[in-house]
Amino acid sequence: MDGLSFDIRISADDKPLVSIRDFTLAQNQITLLLGESGIGKSLISRGVYGLLDPAELTVSVNNLPYPEYLLSQRVRGIQRAGFFVFQEPSSHLNPLVTLGDQLREGALAGASPGREVLRALWEGSAGQDLDSILAVYPKPYRPSGGEKQRILLGMALEKIDMLPPAKRAGPDELFVFDEPSGSLDNHYRDLFLTLLFDRFRRRPFTGLVITHDYSMISRIANSHSDLLDRVVFRELARRHGTLQVSDFQPGTYTGWVKSLLPLGALSQASRGQEPLLTIAPDVEVFGRRLVITKDPEGKVPTRLEVYPGSMVYVKAPSGTGKTTLVKRVMGLIHEGSIEAKLKNLQLTGATPRKFWQDRIWGKRMTMVFQHADEALNMQSTMRETLLGLPLRKPLDTDGIARLVGDLFDTAEAGEVLGKRVRFLSGGQKQRLNLLRSLALDTDVLILDEPLNGLDFDSATRVIAILDRKMKAGMGLLVISHNEEIFDALAGDTHTYYLHIRRDSDRPSY
Amino acid sequence: MKTEGEGTAPARPRLFARKETRWIFLWLGGIAVLWGWDLLFLNPPAFALVRTALFNSLLASVLVVVFSMALGWASGLALYYLEERGKRNIHLAVTFVLNLLRSLPQIVGILLGYVLLTFLIVQDVLRSPFLQLVSMSAVVSLFVFLEVTDLIRERIAYYRSLDFFDAMICCGIPERRIINVEILRKNSLAHLVHKAVAVFGMAIFLQCSIDFIISVGLSTDMSSTNFPATLGSLLARMDSKQDILAISMVFSDISYWSSLFFRHLQGLNIAFMIMFTLACTYNVANGLVRRYHL
Repeated sequence: MDGLSFDIRISADDKPLVSIRDFTLAQNQITLLLGESGIGKSLISRGVYGLLDPAELTVSVNNLPYPEYLLSQRVRGIQRAGFFVFQEPSSHLNPLVTLGDQLREGALAGASPGREVLRALWEGSAGQDLDSILAVYPKPYRPSGGEKQRILLGMALEKIDMLPPAKRAGPDELFVFDEPSGSLDNHYRDLFLTLLFDRFRRRPFTGLVITHDYSMISRIANSHSDLLDRVVFRELARRHGTLQVSDFQPGTYTGWVKSLLPLGALSQASRGQEPLLTIAPDVEVFGRRLVITKDPEGKVPTRLEVYPGSMVYVKAPSGTGKTTLVKRVMGLIHEGSIEAKLKNLQLTGATPRKFWQDRIWGKRMTMVFQHADEALNMQSTMRETLLGLPLRKPLDTDGIARLVGDLFDTAEAGEVLGKRVRFLSGGQKQRLNLLRSLALDTDVLILDEPLNGLDFDSATRVIAILDRKMKAGMGLLVISHNEEIFDALAGDTHTYYLHIRRDSDRPSY
Repeated sequence: MKTEGEGTAPARPRLFARKETRWIFLWLGGIAVLWGWDLLFLNPPAFALVRTALFNSLLASVLVVVFSMALGWASGLALYYLEERGKRNIHLAVTFVLNLLRSLPQIVGILLGYVLLTFLIVQDVLRSPFLQLVSMSAVVSLFVFLEVTDLIRERIAYYRSLDFFDAMICCGIPERRIINVEILRKNSLAHLVHKAVAVFGMAIFLQCSIDFIISVGLSTDMSSTNFPATLGSLLARMDSKQDILAISMVFSDISYWSSLFFRHLQGLNIAFMIMFTLACTYNVANGLVRRYHL
């Protein structure tokens, strides 16, 4: 294959972080690098792009010590001709310069003054919004993560527009997009992919899109199928203790998605049963009035019901308050009002905390939080995390092995059980985050972005466990941006929509 | 980029690579050298007194650390639970008392405590020197422990603001375990050790200051003879003060400097021990701050 090939080794304090012999980027093609979060995708791409700090990490690229690699023509050329979009947009932007000025810095000074790219990325927003944002000095809270991400993506697309006309990409024209959809909802993710591939059709370049969002594959297969032979799908995974890049067949994922059916064999039979959890359609939290409906337009408020053996999926655009809603349902937020019933227990805004502690948390209902990094104790080992659970029958060595075996291979389990959580990869943390709640065997399990940071193999395993738990009578309430997966798993009957009720809205019930 | 064999400093033994460990060993070494010197050149009664004073000061400071940690932990947790359980009136009352304590200058508060101790000693209630040392430490900790309270509350508040706390409580893990084990023991040990070192240094400083103030004589009822010997009280003795004043002799007669280390050993010894211990404590704390990014 005509491409850029790298042998990269990265270590910190004599501890090897990444070692990969054959990391190849196909020239004139876009490589979609998949894999669970925290496995080293960003580190490798930063290493290639010459963005690592040799004072903090010991790095060699193609057997060159890093300081020498940084001075090489290859790195200088890549940095001059290409662009790197960072995963965390805030770290890319200068807080002392307005966004508008940053859009015209350095090589972007010669970009089109009309800002057509950004306007395209703001499609659906009022033009004024973009202009007001461009006058802002970026702060952690303003503009939003999604807006910052779109600004950066806009910069990269503008740089692509500045490439001289050619039929083939130059050797240094490398554009890296590290988790470009991390802060975007599906609409803007699809918009970005369209803009990127339109440019690629007109003028080829070498691209690397790093992501753990496998649903990008479906989008490419469905909307950009003409480019399927020019997009290389690769997956980075740790196998037998070593990091390996292998080809990933897009059909593996798309075929699997097509094969998904509503989970839970009991879902039909459960109709005659009492719901495990019922939530009245009107919920108020932090002064925001939310309404649950069965229709996407939000016209018919509906009581949300979770039956034994069923999966309920709640959908809403980013920022509506899905996580806030489930935290309110879990009794973690006491502000506002809610009417809910968990089996025979009435839960309202006035239900005391002690009641939740004694009767509900970890006993009848529990929740998997979306950010495993925050939800787990980084200083505990994986074993300690599981042993600390208040189970009726405490876990013994065999019990832990059985539990962990659901989501970890035997060799991997042996390696990670005694490790502190902070040394696990993002995907391993997420699997532990899920295992901890699954081990409790509560009546209802709330899952907030359960597939966050997981690779394809882990995602399929998680879904198999959820299916098993549902067959045993557990009720699931899921919020996730993986719409194509959970739409299929929950089915129309169990899909609800969350809306913000405006003052002008009239109750229709 | 670290490449083997070029431009790298010779590897330091792992133990001494850490600043805090280096300073602990430096302190031990310094005290050992001083001990040897005293053994050779300090008269035996004075040496016995210096030994007792050093031991008492260190023991009292360790006790201050223990008491402050216990009081800080208990009060931090009490305030947290009162707030969580909605006991607003009790929470307000406890906060008021603690703030009252905080508003009192440490040195004034400890002096008042020593007045009470003197009274108890005069009344023969506190007879044993060990009990007197424990009481002295308790008084000092009363005006130091709020630093630990603040740290405990700060650590709990930080973790409460993350999903960390909610995610655990949703799993049915008891609140007391989350706070005591998951937050304070597993995630705040470095902060607590750093605070303990700081409290130790503060205890040495406050104790020496108070003992010195009392010993130079604030009243006829209170004197250093009421309390066990400490570095502060020994420094305030006439012979120690003369030893320190002897340093000024060097300005008029430069050849006198060598006599300082033989004829004026007691006072200089005590002053050095205090300063050296405080400097080492500062550096140990500083090393911990750097290593754990506190």
